[in-house]
Amino acid sequence: MADSMIKLEELTKVYEGTEEPAVADLSMDVPEGEIVVLVGPSGCGKTTTMKMINRVIEPTSGRIFLEGEDVTSTNPDLLRRRIGYVIQQIGLFPHMSIRDNVATVPRLLDWDEHKIDDRVDELLELVGMDPGRFRGRYPRELSGGQRQRIGVIRALAADPPVMLMDEPFGAIDPITRERLQNEFLRLQADIKKTIVFVTHDIDEAIKMGDRIAILQDQSIIAQFDTPEEILTNPASQFVSDFVGSGAALKRMNLTRVGEVTLKDWPTARSDEKRDTLRNRLDDAEQDQLLLLDDDGRPRRWLHAQDLRTDDELTSVGEEVHGVISANSTIADALDQMLRSHYGTAVVVDDDDRYTGAVDMAVVLAAAEAMGQSAGADAQHRLADADVETTDEEQVSG
Amino acid sequence: MSASATDTAGRSSGGIWIRPALIAAIVIAVFVWINAVELDSIEQRLLATDAIVSAVVRHIQLVVISTVTVVALAVPAGIALTRRNLLSRALGPPILAIANAGQAVPSLGILVLIAVLFRALGFWPTIFALVLYAFLPILRNTIVGIEQVDESVIESAVGMGMTKRGVLRKIELPLAVPVVLAGIRTALVINVGTATVATLVNSGGLGDIVYGGIVQSRSTVLWAGALLVAALALAIDFLGGLAEDKLRPKGI
Repeated sequence: MADSMIKLEELTKVYEGTEEPAVADLSMDVPEGEIVVLVGPSGCGKTTTMKMINRVIEPTSGRIFLEGEDVTSTNPDLLRRRIGYVIQQIGLFPHMSIRDNVATVPRLLDWDEHKIDDRVDELLELVGMDPGRFRGRYPRELSGGQRQRIGVIRALAADPPVMLMDEPFGAIDPITRERLQNEFLRLQADIKKTIVFVTHDIDEAIKMGDRIAILQDQSIIAQFDTPEEILTNPASQFVSDFVGSGAALKRMNLTRVGEVTLKDWPTARSDEKRDTLRNRLDDAEQDQLLLLDDDGRPRRWLHAQDLRTDDELTSVGEEVHGVISANSTIADALDQMLRSHYGTAVVVDDDDRYTGAVDMAVVLAAAEAMGQSAGADAQHRLADADVETTDEEQVSG
Repeated sequence: MSASATDTAGRSSGGIWIRPALIAAIVIAVFVWINAVELDSIEQRLLATDAIVSAVVRHIQLVVISTVTVVALAVPAGIALTRRNLLSRALGPPILAIANAGQAVPSLGILVLIAVLFRALGFWPTIFALVLYAFLPILRNTIVGIEQVDESVIESAVGMGMTKRGVLRKIELPLAVPVVLAGIRTALVINVGTATVATLVNSGGLGDIVYGGIVQSRSTVLWAGALLVAALALAIDFLGGLAEDKLRPKGI
């Protein structure tokens, strides 16, 4: 098992004027390079827990370790400069340009201005924002989605090993949220930060988390496990209630289109002869051909009757509405299938070129594979757990 | 968006000359008028050009010195009262009470009280009264200006490792600037008016001309003095507005 980047030991927070602790005796290991999602009903103490890691909220008792170092009582300002921090409201500085916003932590760390400029441009490019256009703008000149991206890259500016994210996609419309989540997962695949992510939305937790901690009142851990495991083997009634109905459907959020074997759909080019195409369609099990343009982008569905006319192929048949990418989940694919007339979702690569298709058979195969791997994972983890207990005994003994 | 930006820019750059033109028109009209009518010896004495100039200079001195002093006192006090510590919790209520009282008492009352208390008349007691009187708008605007800064902006600054002083200097103060400046502008205008009344404690300034006109029953003098005070208040308010536009941080 990977080394734990963050280790919380019996962390407790009792707010002034209350007797009940908001967080009671929480111990948790966050492994390096993983996204750990803290999820639970409102008021369960998940945000308090997260904010104790960078000591924006000081714990009443317990200890915090970062990269093996006890940081419970070190200088909090210096500690926070090692930890990226993204909050729901983002909190960009409205009087500073995008460049100055992103440069916040590098400036605190006394980087030279040249290096800061390079880093700001690099980060803007990372989230697909043209540095020349956006560097000098102010937050109010950006859309909600763009501000959120800036919030994330501002947290990444000094390349901290750890990031804390408190409902970072909470205040954004559903369509943009979906896109930002996917974008962030793609980013994380490259940067491999250790991330503690707070949300109240179990679907978001399932989508974003390598591991999920489901928290009850006072941040008591109801289950701390992989999403597959939580969906397949909930540890208690509380967990299954919280996950809610449709666990099998939710598992569709766990597998990405890129991980399954796609179906090859018969394709057509506009310069091909009608006879060739007709033969191809006759030989295929499908009832349509997928017309691609010169760059290999899917354009139209062509039926047998469309091939009987002499019209340009680009004007007959039906337009392809909506495509998915390798990063989309099986749930996204299913959604697209239900919306298309043919029960099929077309998959494209980063340049919008056709790479394959998802139909019901592909989905069923993926669902079956998920069930099996979750079972296998559970056995692995049981074995792991045995080893861990022995380790702890050795340490304490 | 670009269309509306040009609109606003167009309006402000077109309108920016209206006020100075109005002020100049008032001043010129006053001078033309007092040169056109026949003045008796009392009027001539009260409205002599160097008498007017020195009254205006004295008036500006009263306003500027008192405002600078009050800014130097009230802004730091306002900052201190927004720090969440024991000192501000202990001192906050009494300081606000004094400032509120200062503002509640009529300006004439304060002037007379101070003259009686210090057994002194003239320039410096007047400055003292003006400072007391203008303290509240600046104190209150400093506090409001800092407290209206979005909580999430401060939390993200703290969460990224800015020190408390860094947050104050780089985040809270710049974002409070527009509100603080509005308070200073209000104080300046209040002080132009109050300084007029201060002629009663022998402070000098344009009040001398206005009250001279009243006491000597010379309505020409009274009118000239009143119009000049109005022109001065408008001018100072205009300059304050320019300063607000200039000093407001970009982006907000």
